[in-house]
Amino acid sequence: MPGIDECLLEAMRLPGARGASLVDWTSGLALGTVGESPGGDHETTAAEAAELARLAAEHGAFAAADDPGGERPPVEDLIVSNRDSYHLLRFVDTSFDSSVFLHLWLARAEGNLALARIRLGEMAERLVLG
Amino acid sequence: MVGTPPPRLPVRDRASATERAWGGLSPMLTRLAAERATGVLVRARGTLYLAEGMVVHAESPAAAGLDALLTAHGTLAPEVWQDAVARSDGRHGAARLLLDGGHLSPGALQLCHLGALYDAAYFALAPSSAPGRFRYGVAHRLGPVLPVQVAALERETLRRRDLLDRIWPDATPDEAPLERTYASGAPKLTTRQQTLLDRIDGTRTATGLAHGLGRQSFHTLVDVRRLVAAGLVAPRAPAAPEPVVHPPPHTHTPAAAEQLAYTTDPHITLLKRLRDALEAL
Repeated sequence: MPGIDECLLEAMRLPGARGASLVDWTSGLALGTVGESPGGDHETTAAEAAELARLAAEHGAFAAADDPGGERPPVEDLIVSNRDSYHLLRFVDTSFDSSVFLHLWLARAEGNLALARIRLGEMAERLVLG
Repeated sequence: MVGTPPPRLPVRDRASATERAWGGLSPMLTRLAAERATGVLVRARGTLYLAEGMVVHAESPAAAGLDALLTAHGTLAPEVWQDAVARSDGRHGAARLLLDGGHLSPGALQLCHLGALYDAAYFALAPSSAPGRFRYGVAHRLGPVLPVQVAALERETLRRRDLLDRIWPDATPDEAPLERTYASGAPKLTTRQQTLLDRIDGTRTATGLAHGLGRQSFHTLVDVRRLVAAGLVAPRAPAAPEPVVHPPPHTHTPAAAEQLAYTTDPHITLLKRLRDALEAL
């Protein structure tokens, strides 16, 4: 049964993983971080990723059609790619009120985006369900 | 005249100067962290529990506790929580008992606990004129979950103040009873904001609403300030004595003055909100 740190360390075992964190998107707080972060500052990265996650979560255009405006996160994940890396943000669904996501930073050359997306989804589930 | 060069001005290392100037949000807390103290710091708006200089738990009347957050949406049955607290002792904290009983996963407990800790600490570290009191050796029944460094907690608390300030630079709605106002051209609300807005009735405060909904208070302050910025919510003004009516100098008829006071013209309401925000700076 993983805690936050175990979950992040597991994410770091994915091929090409550079850094991982668990972030609250309402406040922009990093609840846990491992590895590197772009710019070398996990707190700034968390605040910026939180802003992006909030926009995605709050705009109806991105919500699933069968659950518009439910209590669950309306978006599963966000993928941002640039020339040298991928950012994968996975929303975590909890039974209590929260607004958190897992953020995985992958090197583009070694990373496997499809695999990482599936694994990160499983990790998000195991994190809260045990 | 002998050409002795003037003595060099003392130059301070910049990094050490900022360090000295940074007394922290609570100098007492900074000192307790440095001496790796264990015990409880009671401040005007909340309480911080320390274990060997790290913050292990926080509580505030303004923030829903871990128990409220976990039971409000059915994650834990209230009896399960009460039972764990009743059975906890110095060796087995309530957190350990909940995990061992299989009622919660470590991830869920850590996530909810950290949320509650930062939430309560935001209020506990609010500026206060009364000095805090520290009692050594006191531990919380919950036991350790994930300890947080004092410096990290203070940094986050300051960042949260800035965040609220950037949304709407007036803290009155954080504590006053809230009432709904009606704005034209208001943005589309999220379900969370709509649920919150539906409960605003002129008597409840932001933190009271957060308690009722089983939400973190700081998250609710963020929503409330956004709603205020959107012109949908306002802090209720304290009951004022009969207002003295000054006729505005540039209106010629009472009807025009009336029209200005109750206008729904979006430009004028925007200007009014702007004025309120500037006055609050």
